[in-house]
Amino acid sequence: MTETRTFTDMEQIITTSSRLMDGDKLYFTAIGGPPLVAVLLAKRLRAPELAYIVEDGTIAPQVSLPAPPFLIAASGASYRAAAWADMNTVSFHAGLGYIDYGVLAAVQVDEYGNFNSTFVGPAYERPARRFGGPGGANEIASLCWRTILMTRQQGRKFVKKLDFMSSPGFLDGSAGARERAGLPADTGPWRVVTEMAVFDFDEETRRIRLKALAPWATVDDVIAEMEFEPMIGPSLESIEVPSEEELSVLRAEVDTTGRTVRGCWITVELDGENARLVEQETSAEGA
Amino acid sequence: MTVVAEGTGAFLAPDPDAHRRYIRDHKEKGLVSKVMSEHEAIERFVEDGDYVAYDCNLWVRGPAALMREIIRQKKRELWIAAKFTAHDATMLVAAGCVNRIDVGWMEVGRVITEAQLEGRVELHEWSNGAMTYRLLAGSLGLPFLPLRYLGGTDVFNTSGTKLIDDPYSGKPICVVPALNPDVGLVHVNQCDEFGNARVFGAGISPVETAMAAKKVILSTEEIIDSDELRRHPQQTRIPYYAVDAVVHAPFGGYPGTVPGLYKADIEHLMESGAAQMQGKMDEYLEKWVFSVSSHEEMLGTHVGQEKLDVLKAEETIKEGYYE
Repeated sequence: MTETRTFTDMEQIITTSSRLMDGDKLYFTAIGGPPLVAVLLAKRLRAPELAYIVEDGTIAPQVSLPAPPFLIAASGASYRAAAWADMNTVSFHAGLGYIDYGVLAAVQVDEYGNFNSTFVGPAYERPARRFGGPGGANEIASLCWRTILMTRQQGRKFVKKLDFMSSPGFLDGSAGARERAGLPADTGPWRVVTEMAVFDFDEETRRIRLKALAPWATVDDVIAEMEFEPMIGPSLESIEVPSEEELSVLRAEVDTTGRTVRGCWITVELDGENARLVEQETSAEGA
Repeated sequence: MTVVAEGTGAFLAPDPDAHRRYIRDHKEKGLVSKVMSEHEAIERFVEDGDYVAYDCNLWVRGPAALMREIIRQKKRELWIAAKFTAHDATMLVAAGCVNRIDVGWMEVGRVITEAQLEGRVELHEWSNGAMTYRLLAGSLGLPFLPLRYLGGTDVFNTSGTKLIDDPYSGKPICVVPALNPDVGLVHVNQCDEFGNARVFGAGISPVETAMAAKKVILSTEEIIDSDELRRHPQQTRIPYYAVDAVVHAPFGGYPGTVPGLYKADIEHLMESGAAQMQGKMDEYLEKWVFSVSSHEEMLGTHVGQEKLDVLKAEETIKEGYYE
């Protein structure tokens, strides 16, 4: 029995990320976009007790689904929170070590999990394309114990050298580099999630390492979409494609306007554990 | 204390003693009414060249009416703290009001990028947390504060952050300079005529923004009786002596939401987004800012009571704010 399923690259990134989340942990998420959607999906389907904090000072809200459109500008985003605080207060909580995971999106990532959300182009003063800036990512990636990064599997995103390091991974990768830069001890990037792969970081070298692979992709497919070669984990796990239930909740309840989950379409044919790629939409500009 | 490394970015240099003298010499300590029009408030308290910090943004409880008045009065060469901001910065840059931006996060598109490439605006990278923390330092009357982020990144290199040895433990720690803006703008839910203010809901830094600034302008949804306010003193977040002007501006956060009161006008947010994409910010500003003489006139002429009623009615969540 085969079944055909179609989803966007971003829907895969979001579902894979949401499956990494546990109900007994605290998350610090960007105020909107894929990180928040992944957290809401995890809360809705797998871990209703999961608590998260947003940089606007909202602590452990209970967003009613379906989420209102333009959640970033709606009181629904902070509905029935445990507390309403402010930006400094929630940063202090992360600084104290309360927050287990930061969940963030990146424009570019390097082999040590450092990332860029500021600009791409030749120089800070001359951006080819300017983005919003570090936002809360620098403090979240510095102060939470572990960081989950979400990005697309593209050569222009996995780069040898960032155009700008907005937020820290393992910096130059040397032992103690974060501590020497004044960041809290024992912190750093934990997973990087793309539509094709999940990466972790080698404990010895702190270099990015392929950990899991989509059933329709090969190691070569992944490496072809990176400027540098990642380490390859000892036993590659398989990523499940988004389930019908995950897709339905994502589209109908969490991201009702489709602003966040939109992307390039991927169609696979599922046969038990196996999945065959039928079609993958590509876009020069990327979504 | 050894400075191990330092960034090279320009920043508004803190001077706590100068700030104290300013407060001593200029702030009104008596209980006097500070209620005035937005025109008078911006004319009296915002000067060309000022550093302006504001709380929240054009999506949520931002001082939108005050910003439009800044644009209407064609203030120039402002330096703004764009932390956790939406297209506020875009509007101010499109109107030619701003030439320096400290960036935390801002909605950014062609208006700001073109201005940057043409040298009309200079950006300085920080982060939302760092900017808010610099305001906290400013609100504490301190010259700087230590923090455990920014280090090791390009934000460190291009900002005014320094890495020092902690004088107690010897371990490396970053410090950032305090920020005492010339002007702080905060849109509040309620205040009395003297400026004692209540802010409801999660918020970025209403208190730090007001207390760190030299000149403070509040816009408020509601002016409430001072005797009534004093029955619930715990709700007062900003005390009157910090406040220079109180502007009564119902729907003062429009087109954004003021949670618990009214929803954001998504149609308007789309219109401003499209104006930027299409290079029609001049037309947008003409319609929403220059063609009217006040916030009140803008609401009447371009939004209309019917739409305002809908935005109010659609905000069904009241708990935590007004109940």
